[in-house]
Amino acid sequence: MSTVTRTAPTEPLADGHDAGNRILAVVRLHLVNRYSVFAVPWMIMGGIFIVNLTIWWIIFASVTNESDRADARDGISYSGALFYIFVYMLVLGIQAVAYTFPFALGFSVTRRDFWLGSALTFITLSAVYSAGLTILAAIEVATDGWGLGGTMFASFYFGGADASWLERFGLYFATYLFFYFVGAAIATIYQRWRNNGMLALFGTLGLVLIAGIALVSFTSSWPAVGAWFDANGPSGVIAWSLAPTAIAAITGYFILRRATPKN
Amino acid sequence: MDESRPIFVQIAELIENDIIAGALPEETQVPSTNEFAAFHRINPATAGKGVNVLVDDGILYKKRGIGMFVASGARERLVAKRRDRFQNEFIAPLIVEAEKLGIDKTQVIDMIRKEGTA
Amino acid sequence: MSAVVEASHLTRRFGDTTAVDDISFSVQKNTIHGLLGRNGAGKTTLMQLLTGQDFATRGEIRVFGENPVENSGVLKNVCFIKESQRYPDEFKPRHVFTSAPWFFPNWDAAFADRLIADFRLPLNRRIKKLSRGQLSAIGVIVGLASRAPLTFFDEPYLGLDAVARQIFYDRLLEDYGDHPRTVILSTHLIDEVSNLLEHVLVIDEGKLLIDEDAESLRGSATTVVGTRQGVDAFVADREVLHRDGIGGLASVTVGRLSPQDRARAAEMGLELSPVSLQQLVVRLTGSTQTETALEQSA
Repeated sequence: MSTVTRTAPTEPLADGHDAGNRILAVVRLHLVNRYSVFAVPWMIMGGIFIVNLTIWWIIFASVTNESDRADARDGISYSGALFYIFVYMLVLGIQAVAYTFPFALGFSVTRRDFWLGSALTFITLSAVYSAGLTILAAIEVATDGWGLGGTMFASFYFGGADASWLERFGLYFATYLFFYFVGAAIATIYQRWRNNGMLALFGTLGLVLIAGIALVSFTSSWPAVGAWFDANGPSGVIAWSLAPTAIAAITGYFILRRATPKN
Repeated sequence: MDESRPIFVQIAELIENDIIAGALPEETQVPSTNEFAAFHRINPATAGKGVNVLVDDGILYKKRGIGMFVASGARERLVAKRRDRFQNEFIAPLIVEAEKLGIDKTQVIDMIRKEGTA
Repeated sequence: MSAVVEASHLTRRFGDTTAVDDISFSVQKNTIHGLLGRNGAGKTTLMQLLTGQDFATRGEIRVFGENPVENSGVLKNVCFIKESQRYPDEFKPRHVFTSAPWFFPNWDAAFADRLIADFRLPLNRRIKKLSRGQLSAIGVIVGLASRAPLTFFDEPYLGLDAVARQIFYDRLLEDYGDHPRTVILSTHLIDEVSNLLEHVLVIDEGKLLIDEDAESLRGSATTVVGTRQGVDAFVADREVLHRDGIGGLASVTVGRLSPQDRARAAEMGLELSPVSLQQLVVRLTGSTQTETALEQSA
């Protein structure tokens, strides 16, 4: 144009250190809606805690016999109350890929940057949540079960009453990672292969499970299975879970790499 | 905007019309290309092309750092150009239409005399 | 002028269907391109290929000189606004505008704020609860305020009423004048945008039918109207794009007419009417064989 106007053509920016910035941008994207990643987990935990607190109070108000109380305490130490908190991480993992991925694609993010940024986000969140749980477990042990003899955080699965804070932190952390990456990986299958993929996944899983059960039953190996769990204990099982976690993290990336947004 | 002719030609004509009508006096600044584009809702590149036609014809000229101005003598030149075209653009179609309707030239001249006060 | 996008023998097949069929073209820097065609012609697929969101079956793509697939260096300068954009659950418009600057280096927040006011977008209502028009407005605002050197708009104005669409065109033109960039716009509403376009690409059934300057397309077809005899005589040795008629009157669309042709038509008492870009595209991409009752000059 030969006329005089104040034009500032938008030139493509040079590359350089932006690669790291894009990954951090993905992290910020996951955290931009504070509600889902900060408020909701605490609300879930708070809700479960209050329910449990009420139950413990009722139990120990009604059970007066000493040996029965000891029994009750022992039983409560197997509390699976934390389970739903980890299930929420599964949900976050699924949502990260199901909702945030198509949105991030719309912001011209590469799949690689998205996967790395999401992993970074949720590994960090897992660490933060785990730290919170570890602190709560320490309080629980110190107050002898919140003054009521209850157990929720320092349960059998996460080190019992005696574990060190480091071990406990590691157990929570590994569990969070497992649920996140498995959730995310499952969601990538949907992104890539949609309904057919989901059918294939759950069909295969079902078959494998049935085949496994059949195999174990026919070789009468149930005691061996039980013995394995016993020998490893919860900590061992959770440590083993790092393997499927890593597999999910890697295969999820390769599945997502060729996923396209739904039209 | 006419569908059948290039837009830049029509833009050039609109500016010429404004110059002839006196709305754009000589040695005054004309709106910028972007302003033309926004006003007529056309692409700035097209508006620029139309302006360039007038620059090439010597109707407009550019003052560096300021903008486009109407050249001296532009109006006269435009009027002369239009006069040359008057015969083909207005008179010829008039006669064709008159013939279609069976109006002969004398009647047409009478009509012209009746029309207007000048 | 350099080419910002270059496609070479681009093909995308989905099983039996060929959505994009051996398409080659290039897009010059800082121009507004129109990508026109019917529903399902392949416009969206083409744009998804060019932005690395989908993968080509065959052929090559160069955006800013490189393959755009998984290429963050290229993609950070690209903004693709599509009407089927999904947003995370529980997201509100303000989350979109807070996060957009992290991904678009040229983002202009002041411009975005003006646009939000123009489109009257409620920032704190959940996206699930927005009307179709408000949803489209989000996309339009992101596309405009991103100032991405290469911006694609895939029919982002579904649901926008005529007033909002005009606001979009006006803001686009204004901003394009002050901050030139390469814009590729796909649309059905051809007449609304035809004056904005510098270059036109028409796609039909995956193939590229037209790849021309908008200005040279203007006047490339004319409709000749008059008595059947007269019209037939006039169009005898020309390529006919479309025939229509009622009673003794015929209306035939032919290619470009020279000034001499026009004069001859006038002498023969025939009327010439222009063919708009929309009519041209409709003629070229409509059912070519039979002239149904629905086939009227648009």
